[in-house]
Amino acid sequence: MPSIILRDIKKSYGEVVAADDLDLEVENGEYLCLLGPTGAGKTTALRIIAGLTKPDSGQVFLDGRDVTDLEPEERNAVLLSQRYSLFPTMTVAENILFGPSIRKVPELDSRKTLVELLDLVRLTKRADSYPRELSGGMQQRNALARALATNPDVLLLDEPLRALDARLRIDLRHELRSLAKALGLTVIHVTHDQEEAMVMADRIAVIRNGHIVQIGTPREVFDDPVSPFVANFVGQSNFFVGNILCSRDGRMTTVEDDKGHVVFARSSEIPVDSKAVVAIKVGNTRVVKRSDAFVMGTVERTLFEGRVVHLDVNAGELGRFSVKLPASRRDQVAVGDEVGLNWDIPKASVFPYPEGGLEEELRVD
Amino acid sequence: MKRMDWVVDFISRKGFRKGWTVFIIAFFLFFVVIPTLYVVTYAFTDWSAIETTVLSKPETMSVIVNAVAASFEIAAIVTVIDFLAGLPVAWILVRKEFRGKEFLDTLIDMPLAVPTAALGFSAAVFWVMNPDPVPFSFSVISSPFFLIILLHIVFSYPYMVRSLAAILEEIDDTYEVAGRTLGASRLTAARTITLPLFRAGLATGVILCFSRSMSETGGTMIALSTMANLGIGEAANFFTGSTLIGEWRSLVENDPTYAPSLAFVSILLIALALILLIILKLVIMKFHLPLRKVWPMQEKMLSRGIFPKMKDGGALLFLALIVLIPSFFIFTYVLFSDPASLDMGALSYALGYSFLVAGVVTVIDIALGIPFALYITKHRDRASSNVLDVLVNVPLIVPTAALGYSLFLFWGSTGLTGGASFVVLTLAHVAFTYPLVVRNVAGAVEEIDPSFEETARTLGAKPIQSFHRVLYPLIKSSILAGAIMAFTRSLGETGATQAVLGSNALTAPVYIVSLVKADELYQAGLACIILIIVSYIFMLVLRYLTKKRKEAI
Ligand SMILES: Nc1ncnc2c1ncn2[C@@H]1O[C@H](COP(=O)(O)OP(=O)(O)OP(=O)(O)O)[C@@H](O)[C@H]1O
Ligand SMILES: [Mg+2]
Repeated sequence: MPSIILRDIKKSYGEVVAADDLDLEVENGEYLCLLGPTGAGKTTALRIIAGLTKPDSGQVFLDGRDVTDLEPEERNAVLLSQRYSLFPTMTVAENILFGPSIRKVPELDSRKTLVELLDLVRLTKRADSYPRELSGGMQQRNALARALATNPDVLLLDEPLRALDARLRIDLRHELRSLAKALGLTVIHVTHDQEEAMVMADRIAVIRNGHIVQIGTPREVFDDPVSPFVANFVGQSNFFVGNILCSRDGRMTTVEDDKGHVVFARSSEIPVDSKAVVAIKVGNTRVVKRSDAFVMGTVERTLFEGRVVHLDVNAGELGRFSVKLPASRRDQVAVGDEVGLNWDIPKASVFPYPEGGLEEELRVD
Repeated sequence: MKRMDWVVDFISRKGFRKGWTVFIIAFFLFFVVIPTLYVVTYAFTDWSAIETTVLSKPETMSVIVNAVAASFEIAAIVTVIDFLAGLPVAWILVRKEFRGKEFLDTLIDMPLAVPTAALGFSAAVFWVMNPDPVPFSFSVISSPFFLIILLHIVFSYPYMVRSLAAILEEIDDTYEVAGRTLGASRLTAARTITLPLFRAGLATGVILCFSRSMSETGGTMIALSTMANLGIGEAANFFTGSTLIGEWRSLVENDPTYAPSLAFVSILLIALALILLIILKLVIMKFHLPLRKVWPMQEKMLSRGIFPKMKDGGALLFLALIVLIPSFFIFTYVLFSDPASLDMGALSYALGYSFLVAGVVTVIDIALGIPFALYITKHRDRASSNVLDVLVNVPLIVPTAALGYSLFLFWGSTGLTGGASFVVLTLAHVAFTYPLVVRNVAGAVEEIDPSFEETARTLGAKPIQSFHRVLYPLIKSSILAGAIMAFTRSLGETGATQAVLGSNALTAPVYIVSLVKADELYQAGLACIILIIVSYIFMLVLRYLTKKRKEAI
């Protein structure tokens, strides 16, 4: 049975709609990343699950139990807030022991939990420090230990890695996930970092304007985005706008723009002659010889990023394309070079042209 | 232990919490707001009497208008001076570390420990121009208007410093550090980053000071009659709105024809105070002073060298000369006067009675004021809570003499005033001290990130537990500040007590007033000193106890 179910949740603050027919199911023991741009309603969704915000309508189920009208303390769902909210008047150890002492866990057991958790989050030496004396990473680990000490069924993490430096963030991704798995927790992890979601999640739910637009494994969301927005938000994409020339031959779709340029994408159900958008993941775009190219352009800018080289290619009327080259091919291209671009046809998605225009569709604010 | 759990469970039930909220709000309305405003009904039931005995008599009207205008002018001047002189001291108290800081901290509250009647007496003998001055006095003032300003600064100043300091303490100075690393000078950082956060504290301080000055009766009366006794006859005919009510309240016992005039002045002062309160609230909350505009050059200059020292030094000098010395000049006075014997029995009875009233009042204020403050701060999105938030200031800004008269009419209409004078007096004191606790607590809660309590809730804490374990330790200093204000305010109140109980009142300040009126000045001085010492010891004990508790946690 799914551990968390949100059904038709609506919540608005005046004009702003923070949750709009929000539906979500999270399986027991699953690690779900809720991914979305800022203001999408991620925090609102977590607060509704935790019981801190009352939805205007809709229902929340935890473990099959309708908890919509229950108080936060009756849900056994711990929220780790964006700001950690460590209690400033308590030490690291006292913060961790807060939950157990509220639940009247026997002294001996809670001591044992404390020792284990301090060890787990590597704060044994700082047990008697106050939160303000800790670094950002330590505070984050302290907050995590405090959340784990209550032995929750559900852990709600609101951008838990945000305040950490890049290196630590990457280390902690694995740690956090394996910890949750080892403890059998059901986790919703909010982030707006798509890379973090890709490597950590069992499934990713992409949220926008208070509504889940797609949910699936990282692979599904990456390879089969349901809209240009998802295609661009989860792993950046290059876009091509045109009309469908032919689509129903089962192998591929041919799209032509009004200047006569033609590109190819995977097969689709979109009727011939309607306006469409082709999205190709930057990572799936290749630099090739002129004879193999779908698109030609001049290199405008190169950025050496360490492992890869990023190219901005100006394809004239077709706009700008981004390409990544392995660092080993770094010396083969230079600014001003004319290059050809193509991609594996099945890896290019094609969508009906969005109603509000492409730019509006891709907006992330 | 088991029973405790049961209690926690019980009070955490939704039904109980709803009921409790209703009770808290009902208590506030029926015991604080309605009695305070009851006098207004007089305008509806007996308007014709007001018309014939007040409105149609120009000489009565001009007395009223002059007195009310004087009240407003004095209150405005006092508040501005309090703010200018109080801010640097609040800053020093919170942000600087130096030897003797604890001492300075207690010094600030000292005028609060002195009943205003004693302050009025003390300040008058210190300031008033006198052909035969007491040694070390500063007898330069010959205008009653200025004397009252100086007097009101003495007892409103600590409220301003305390309100500002309590909020400053809660504002983390990391904000400021962040600002300074971005290149702002010390003063610029303080002004653009900390000051806007400071608005809640400022609103509290301004409302407290203004209303304190508007409503003070006992001390003002004593200061004016002492001034008159010292040969400045003008003082006998100088009235503020409050002293006018006090004067007429004492006359109405023998001459009921004063009742309409008394009701009219009370209503007038209440109405003006309410209008003012609303304006003040709008100004402080809505009108953003141009704090964000930064003038880097001048401020860098002002942040260096002798300017900060001059500002600190000036503020401390002000504290000593204007606030502390006049408050305690009474000691010098007693030292240099001819001794006479004092009726210790009557004094200790009055003292005991006052302490009992103040103690019970403070307990009620804390028990019912904190939940009320939490209610209004946590339901900011509801219109009802904003209305309550404005209403809670009403008893603060309504002159206590008018409030006392209103309470007298209200409780008199219930028939309680005769027998249960202790109960009535306690309820009366609750009405004007309750907002002190609410304001202090609400100001502090507003500055605290709600996510602390929310996190505690998701970790399994019931609302009462999350308050006790998480919020309470953070706002303790503000609760203590509110409790001390409420206690000392009740202990020192003269005007309202007399207005409620007439001449039957038995509290220490009323006893002291009666000594002054009987021209037993030496005895009055001595009684003041005893009251000061006893309340000071009490305050030290309170501070010590709360500090102890903090260390134990
Ligand atoms: N208490 C509130 N009052 C008014 N508006 C709110 C409130 N809480 C959230 N909102 C609005 O609801 C929308 C969703 O907010 P939410 O905090 O859920 O976004 P988010 O996805 O967590 O964003 P971020 O990534 O920036 O944290 C925003 O437009 C926000 O301004
Ligand atoms: Mg958020």
